Amino acid sequence: MRLVQGNEAVVLGALAAGCNFYAGYPITPATEIMEQMARMLPGRGGVFIQMEDELAALGAVIGATWGGMRAMTATSGPGFSLMQEHIGYAAMTQTPCVVVDSQRIGPSTGQPTMPAQGDVMQARWGSHGDRPAIVVTASSVKDVYDMTQQSFTWAFTYRLPVVLLLDAVLSHMRENIELPAVSPPSLPTSADSADSEDPYKPFGNHPFVPFSANTRTIVSGLAHDETGNTRGAVGPASEQILRDSLSHLDEDYQKITRHRNYRLEDAQWLIISYGITARAARAAVDILRESGVRAGLLELMTLWPFPELIVKSIARHVQGILLPELNLGQLVLPLRAAVGGLCPVAGLGRADGELFTPEAIAQAMISHSRKIERRVSHHA
Amino acid sequence: MHKAVQTPDRLGIRLTGRGGQGIILSGVIIAQAAMYDGRFVVHTQSYGPEARLGASKSEVMISRWEIAFPEVVLADILLCLSLDAYLKYGSQVASNSLSVIDDLIGITAPAPGQVILPLRRTARDLGNELSANIVGLGALVAITELVEVHHVQQAIKERVKPEFSEVNLKAFTRGLELGEQWHASA
Repeated sequence: MRLVQGNEAVVLGALAAGCNFYAGYPITPATEIMEQMARMLPGRGGVFIQMEDELAALGAVIGATWGGMRAMTATSGPGFSLMQEHIGYAAMTQTPCVVVDSQRIGPSTGQPTMPAQGDVMQARWGSHGDRPAIVVTASSVKDVYDMTQQSFTWAFTYRLPVVLLLDAVLSHMRENIELPAVSPPSLPTSADSADSEDPYKPFGNHPFVPFSANTRTIVSGLAHDETGNTRGAVGPASEQILRDSLSHLDEDYQKITRHRNYRLEDAQWLIISYGITARAARAAVDILRESGVRAGLLELMTLWPFPELIVKSIARHVQGILLPELNLGQLVLPLRAAVGGLCPVAGLGRADGELFTPEAIAQAMISHSRKIERRVSHHA
Repeated sequence: MHKAVQTPDRLGIRLTGRGGQGIILSGVIIAQAAMYDGRFVVHTQSYGPEARLGASKSEVMISRWEIAFPEVVLADILLCLSLDAYLKYGSQVASNSLSVIDDLIGITAPAPGQVILPLRRTARDLGNELSANIVGLGALVAITELVEVHHVQQAIKERVKPEFSEVNLKAFTRGLELGEQWHASA
């Protein structure tokens, strides 16, 4: 058992995943990740570098990955906005990397020390163009450890930047957790077999192979084909790479989408929640159950791809859904689309830097249910 | 044992003071000690411009079972080291709560459950007013028996820089004595 802080769990999870490169620029509430990486990486043969800003930080991470390292960075809202350019670049160049965004109140400088969940749409759609995306979140320090580790696996499996969304409370929160003993995975190597391929195809539906001494690899944010060629009519080839990446995620959708059920078996009223808010939602379910309301919680750990299948399957069996989130209505949008009228969906948002209390969520669920029951009895 | 800690589950402790008084560290020490007691713990902290010289807080939830909501709404146990913290958090306590409050805040008519002790003055006598947080911790532990004494000592040794270990262990002992004296007089 150890008492571990959320940000520290990012570092421990990343090291367990074999992370050996960190580039960043300090920002509240993510700074402890950088501080501890600075302390831990050099002694383990890894590389730590503080860059001049967040653009450069993610740029360095992308370069390091191509150099054969398992690389990550961490930031908060303002830095995450700057990183959008290179998230797009990582997507276009199919570069595996992990970006942690500890969310604080925005827009802009906002409230640096206060928790938020306002980056859930930006994490999916913040950079221009279409791209495959995996965005995950966590509600406990143990989750942070597990999801950081998992993010590296997915980054390399699907060759994309994986975003892990935390928040100011979770980043600074300490919990006692049991850390499993792990042996870090082997690092990606510049396989010589790639050299014999004719022509060598570093992009598309091929495993990620870093630069090697024997191969010339062109990495460009310009549209390119599987060989990296950017000249000529590469538009259709480039679109095909994108389509293949997207369908790779679609095929593995069930493997990627993670969720947690709490008292759902006989639930009539569903709370869907994610991140730190799910902790209050869990307590709210207990409060509601004690007062005779059959409530249950679906906690989402994967936000993108949006877990619409699981949402839909549960929505069929409940009378109403409430989604509390620390923003003014973001994940409720894909939720409404997924539920598609199977039952009424209500959002509950706040962006003042405070967490929802369990009582506030329970109260909102009760008002939502009363409204629905009135409507039903009116129609009857 | 004080009645605030006789509740079987979910004890909410709020430590408050002025940024720089070591409020967050004392929360970490309680959390670590409670972990050694075999409990589930969650520690949260306020942090930021308001925590640098303004009212600052650090919260610990302790439970036999997994803890859902991590923050303390109404505190079962409150430690208060500064006036601004008292004004902000002094009344946000549960019924049957216990508050240990520094006497320099100047409360003349304590409410039921409020224990006024010379925490900062004791720390000053020990040569370092910055150890008032640990004196307060000692008083809280003696009054409420909320965690095992030797687990707090172990946590202090692990969480405080070695050069400050001795002064903090001494501060903790003085705090325990203050709490015991209060028990004897109550």
